Amino acid sequence: MNKLIRRGLLRPLARVGRTAEAVAEHAGQMASLSWGVAAATLRGRVSMRSIIDQFWEMGVQSLPLVLVTAVISGVVTTQQGGYQLTSTIPLYVLGSVVASSVVLELGPVMTSFVLIGRVGARITAEIGTMQVSEQIDALHSLGRDPIAVLAAPRVIAGTITTPLLVSIANVVGIFAGMVAARLSLGLGYQSFLYGARMYWHSWDLLYSINKGIVFGFIIPLISVHMGFRTRGGAEGVGRSTTAAVVFMIISLLVLDATFPSLFLN
Amino acid sequence: MIEYIDVHKAFDVPVLTGVNLTVQTGETLSIVGPSGTGKSVLLKTTNGLLVPDQGDVRVDGESAYFDGDETLRRIRGKVGYVFQYAALFDSMTVCENICAGLPLGVNIREGWVLEKVAQALEDVNLDPRQVMNKLPAELSGGMKKRVGLARTIVGRPEILLYDEPVTGLDPVNTAAVSRLIRDIREKTGVTSIIVTHDIEQALEISDRVALLEHGVLRFVGTPGEFQASPDPVVRAFADRRLAAEAAVRIMEEDAADLKKDMEEETP
Ligand SMILES: Nc1ncnc2c1ncn2[C@@H]1O[C@H](COP(=O)(O)OP(=O)(O)OP(=O)(O)O)[C@@H](O)[C@H]1O
Ligand SMILES: [Mg+2]
Repeated sequence: MNKLIRRGLLRPLARVGRTAEAVAEHAGQMASLSWGVAAATLRGRVSMRSIIDQFWEMGVQSLPLVLVTAVISGVVTTQQGGYQLTSTIPLYVLGSVVASSVVLELGPVMTSFVLIGRVGARITAEIGTMQVSEQIDALHSLGRDPIAVLAAPRVIAGTITTPLLVSIANVVGIFAGMVAARLSLGLGYQSFLYGARMYWHSWDLLYSINKGIVFGFIIPLISVHMGFRTRGGAEGVGRSTTAAVVFMIISLLVLDATFPSLFLN
Repeated sequence: MIEYIDVHKAFDVPVLTGVNLTVQTGETLSIVGPSGTGKSVLLKTTNGLLVPDQGDVRVDGESAYFDGDETLRRIRGKVGYVFQYAALFDSMTVCENICAGLPLGVNIREGWVLEKVAQALEDVNLDPRQVMNKLPAELSGGMKKRVGLARTIVGRPEILLYDEPVTGLDPVNTAAVSRLIRDIREKTGVTSIIVTHDIEQALEISDRVALLEHGVLRFVGTPGEFQASPDPVVRAFADRRLAAEAAVRIMEEDAADLKKDMEEETP
């Protein structure tokens, strides 16, 4: 009986406790990292050049993949929407379906997933390698602050770049959906836009861009944080990169799920 | 002056278990000891790269741990650290790496900066024209090591911590680096701590030699005292022949253990 209780009840509880402890530890470290980034930025310790470098790598170089993803989001939504709308619902409603799916959800989320794979993983691997090869220690010993030199430019660039990429993805996604509606369903541009406007709230765009800002902040924050925590050689870098990607995906999904109840009431 | 006061540090197992040592201003002290005893760990507690679990380290009377961030920054400003594996920034060229050793905000394109970089490279016996614009990945191990040394000395720190500055260098470059360490000391009167496995270098260039073993300093004294010490562990370090005998003894003991284990396993 005792054994049963221990195995059935206490062990899972202990596991929950350990997980909670780990989550609290990560949260604490990330809060202090955010604070460090804010402080370094406000004190003017972050070099403009490194922000621009990061802006280039994150924004400009991610653009092709973001565009492809946006086009596919728009086209697929159109085709599946068209398949589901029966003759009782006018086809121009499709315009609204595509516009809101893309702006509220697909634009920000798919763009962020692209950034997790293309940018987040790279940041963790890069900073993790610097950590295990003592380059972070070298920065400290030379009186440089790794948060100002490495973390801040990435977090700032991510927070600025992502909403821009999301805006581009929104426009391209809707446009691709519109073209697909005409080619595959014979729905004219005018009718599509009529439908899109009918159920459009001006708030929707802000919502989309807000998502972009939050995701664009959290992706580099997590990847930098996991990079700094890396221990144990090349294998450790691999381990923390995988962990960082999982961590980013889960955080993104959780945040995405909290967005409607926070902002759409 | 650097004071290590009862420094304790454990990772999974205890590494340092109460190190006490005072290094006077202008003194050169070598730390020797078996691999994996915590020489690098001890060195890293000096400027806060590792935080001791217990005890304190004071540089010119100020603690890197109890006197606040501003003090730590000041200590890091005067302590130069030469890393065991160079720790060059691998996204930067040799020139940019060495510039990182200069004060914040210097312009890499200014003439005097390039001159300083070139001078630092010549000091470590590298040809500036050849290596200046290379990336660390394009250098040999010994070259990286010397670039790391150049990056540290270019900022003219008051205290220099060398973690195995000559391990892996050929005899010519070993001699060049030894000469450099001595020159810097004579010209600028720096305080230096040198972790080394090259006992001849240690005896030749230092005022005192310390032996770290099992988490504590087993011996601290002048090179003369080191060589005259009756302690068998010190003698094994001081004398090549004795070291070789110790190695043979260890191997024989291991072989005996192995033989015994095998005999026990096969009934
Ligand atoms: N960051 C770290 N995390 C975990 N363990 C560590 C860390 N740094 C050092 N250690 C452990 O501390 C012990 C001492 O390491 P240290 O690098 O100081 O040895 P060392 O005396 O410099 O050896 P060597 O002469 O080979 O360089 C080793 O057992 C090592 O595994
Ligand atoms: Mg070492």
